[in-house]
Amino acid sequence: MSIKRYYHLIVCVVCLTGVFSVNNSLTLHAEPQKEVIPSSGEPKSEGAGMLSKFKFAPLDFNPPKAERIALENGMILYLLEDHDLPIVNIAAQIRTGSVYEPEEKAGLASLTGEVMRSGGTVSMPPDKMNEELEFMAASVETSIGRESGSASLSVLKKDLDKGLNIFADVLRNPAFPEDKIRMKKDEAIESIRRENDRPQQIAGREFRKVIYEGSHPYSRRVDGTLESIEKITRNDMAAFHKKFFRPNNIILGISGDFDRKMMIEKLNEIFKGWKKEDNNIPDVPKVKNELSKSVHYVYKDINQANVIMGHLGIHRKSPDYFPVRIMNFILGGSGFTARITSRIRSDEGLAYSAFSDFQTSQDLGMFYVMCQTKLKSTHRAITIALEEIEKMRAVPVDNEELTHAKETILNQFVFRFTTSASIVAQMIDIEYEGLPLDYLETYVDNIQAVTIEDIQRVAQKYLHPDKIKILVVGNKDKFDKPLDTFGKVNEIALEQYQEIPVNNAKSGVR
Amino acid sequence: MTRMKRVISFTLINFLAIFLCLWKLHANPLELNVKEHVLRNGLKLLMMEKHNVPIVCLRINFRVGSVDERPGITGVSHLFEHMMFKGTKIFGTKDYAAEKPLLDKEDALVAEIAWEKGMETQDREKIAALEKELETTREKLRDMVVKDEIFSLYLRHGAVGLNAATSSDGTFYICDIPANKLELWAFIESDRMKNRVLREFYSERDVVMEERRLRVETSPFGALIEQLNAVTFIAHPYRLPTIGWRSDIQNVTKAETAEYFERYYSPNNAVIVIVGDFQPENAIKLVEKYFGDIPRQPDPPKVKTIEPEQKGERRIEVEFDSNPYMAISYHIPGIGHQDIYALDVLSSLLSEGRTSRLYKSMIEGKRIAVMANAGIGIGRFPETFTFYAAPRAPHTVEEVEKAFYEEVELLKTKPPSEWELQKIKNQLEASFIRSLDSSSGLAGQIGHYEILSDWRYINTFLEKVSEVTAEDVMRVAKKYLNKRNRTVAMLVKKENGNGESAK
Repeated sequence: MSIKRYYHLIVCVVCLTGVFSVNNSLTLHAEPQKEVIPSSGEPKSEGAGMLSKFKFAPLDFNPPKAERIALENGMILYLLEDHDLPIVNIAAQIRTGSVYEPEEKAGLASLTGEVMRSGGTVSMPPDKMNEELEFMAASVETSIGRESGSASLSVLKKDLDKGLNIFADVLRNPAFPEDKIRMKKDEAIESIRRENDRPQQIAGREFRKVIYEGSHPYSRRVDGTLESIEKITRNDMAAFHKKFFRPNNIILGISGDFDRKMMIEKLNEIFKGWKKEDNNIPDVPKVKNELSKSVHYVYKDINQANVIMGHLGIHRKSPDYFPVRIMNFILGGSGFTARITSRIRSDEGLAYSAFSDFQTSQDLGMFYVMCQTKLKSTHRAITIALEEIEKMRAVPVDNEELTHAKETILNQFVFRFTTSASIVAQMIDIEYEGLPLDYLETYVDNIQAVTIEDIQRVAQKYLHPDKIKILVVGNKDKFDKPLDTFGKVNEIALEQYQEIPVNNAKSGVR
Repeated sequence: MTRMKRVISFTLINFLAIFLCLWKLHANPLELNVKEHVLRNGLKLLMMEKHNVPIVCLRINFRVGSVDERPGITGVSHLFEHMMFKGTKIFGTKDYAAEKPLLDKEDALVAEIAWEKGMETQDREKIAALEKELETTREKLRDMVVKDEIFSLYLRHGAVGLNAATSSDGTFYICDIPANKLELWAFIESDRMKNRVLREFYSERDVVMEERRLRVETSPFGALIEQLNAVTFIAHPYRLPTIGWRSDIQNVTKAETAEYFERYYSPNNAVIVIVGDFQPENAIKLVEKYFGDIPRQPDPPKVKTIEPEQKGERRIEVEFDSNPYMAISYHIPGIGHQDIYALDVLSSLLSEGRTSRLYKSMIEGKRIAVMANAGIGIGRFPETFTFYAAPRAPHTVEEVEKAFYEEVELLKTKPPSEWELQKIKNQLEASFIRSLDSSSGLAGQIGHYEILSDWRYINTFLEKVSEVTAEDVMRVAKKYLNKRNRTVAMLVKKENGNGESAK
């Protein structure tokens, strides 16, 4: 109702978002809800002492479970009926991604994901599709990211058939008209041109380039570059779509107000004739697991330095996933009380946002610490982060910290089941990532099993302050101490985009 | 004949049954069933049960925001919001009795240092000695703090979404927690209202300064909107940035912050919202038990200033090392005025979805912009209708401005189609239904509108919107979207130049 308010004036006390988060928030949950009664540790204050005498009734909750069905054409379904509201939500995850596109056509996957929806289908032009959907207050959206594609439908129960038909049509028969391709290309170009306006975007983009070798698709922008975008043709997009959008490449989750039996019939009908094809998903080159120290600097005349530092981390299926998750919780992943946040923000007032994260992907993801601080405390903030990383390796965490982390994660469990759509979404994700399908059932035990020794072991294995890469965006003339105290500084020059001549507006390239 | 009659009447009953059933389906979810309870001290409790998951979504909101501030202390509502996480006499400290004199000493030293530094001839030695003493005092204080204990206790008991927010109109404390922990919340929150202590004040002021750098000083859009508001309102305190002006954040004192708390954080200026899996009788009992003994206070001072009618277009430029953005604001009436609903429809008409007019004309048609949005602000006081956009190079803000005025003229001269109006109504209805899925979202909405005027705004909104006609849309376009009522702000490129100016 009030769009302006968002920009107008809301300011919050906590800000803890990863810049690279895909669907990696590592927080999938088990069932049934096992509750942990916070018990350990001496209360440190009078108030905590009083609270420790509170008795809480046990939390009785058996979250509903989505049903898994494999269709004959290879499509996997997760179904969860929920008749509370007259709404049906469908979310699909498709095995595709920009990791599969050639470097010279970087941006192909993303553009394909955009125009699949915005360009309409062979039988339904985009204007008509927009009108139909918006009049019934429904939405169909598609997108392709780095390592997966997604498609969604949200529709009122009464319009389910219409909605399903459009949804299936978009998945199967996108038209890719030239005018909409041009439009999305131009939008991507403008977004690239605008990237250097925001220091955090510069930091995130350049850090990725520093962490991954140039030839690896993880080092690239999902949007592509000004040059590569222009090389993408309609044929490329149609071929890319054809290659990846097949039923046996799709996991579909359906939640809301429908009847299970009727839904399966409908799905069989709308996907009729769409055949399973042999798996020809190309291999993605392995990330070379080599670490080395380096320091990078991007000049921008701003009054706050953007610091990002880290190195290669773990992949999603790492056997050390749970201890790493808890280790990072203690180091910088849990808000105010995490060590890095507590020192940089709470003790010294150097930053509003300071945190660490293990971003995971199918191959090795990134461990990174991020903060923004005034120029004259840049060196100080980096030093604190390095000290805390080193300390995590050198000194075992104490039992109280570990218990705090576990109890937090386990007691927050129930919030993973607040809507049917979120339950289904988790199952799709588990299936897509190739995690064990009983992931939620074993989650509690996996968290409980983590020991102090595990944490120190993974800290020593996955944290390498001596081989860390530090990248700072800001104005080094005003830093408290020179950056080269951390190592030889490699200065990265920002790309300067030429003004686009007005008469060249259509093609839009420099 | 008789037989025939019977069949007909049977059909009628059937028809009636279906109709009633549909009506129920409709009427039920399109209204929130909120229970109210007001404590004797004036604290209002709003409750909505939703039993599908054992969680409770809790909000405690205060009717105080930057609109209640004045030059010199701008940003104090927001700073105070941060301070509420620093603890109380019994939370966040190992021993308040021992801590208190040290806190007083810290304040005295800070004031003395500021005084000495303000002298024409500075006594360097004296300042150095004072600073040393301050450092020693702070070290002692550090030993007494239990770091971020309130946050930590909440987390440990399973709270999520733990946060707080400040706007020009209100301050909102957010906590979603497993349903069996309701009493824990009541205990901590009531203690925050009774016994708050402003510890770690000076470092938190620095944190807020970093927040300002992040949100405004290094953000093109943040910088543009701050300037736009400051010029759109020349008298009314909506002109003040919620984060606060730079100089005020740096200089606001602990005493000013404490005074602000005393004045505005009274039970009679607060509302509690509970949505989720709980029994209202039990919630009332708990809230009475923990909050009931907080004394009622005199009503906080009212904002007296009324923004005078705008007498002509205002235009500003903001130089920034960024590609261009633009924004145009128009004054509109406040919540409670009938025109709000037509203006809401008008905003949706312009920028809701791919079939909206701005999308079709500027983004898809002429392709001169990559972002073009319009929306109305609804606040405790009359707000604005605002249009904001990012042009697509090489197109300029001037082209986008011109194209926007063409759309505005169209609104004034040609009634919107029935299809457009019906589409918007369908969407508002569906979005209401969708909003019922999230307890957290509902708690936020109920609390938000209660701070602005009354949570019932949500329940009457759809009906009021459904009454809006094509003529109403034309009428409000003519009435408000005029040259003399608008402020135009352009963010223009400045190479290398948002750095902190040398002092």
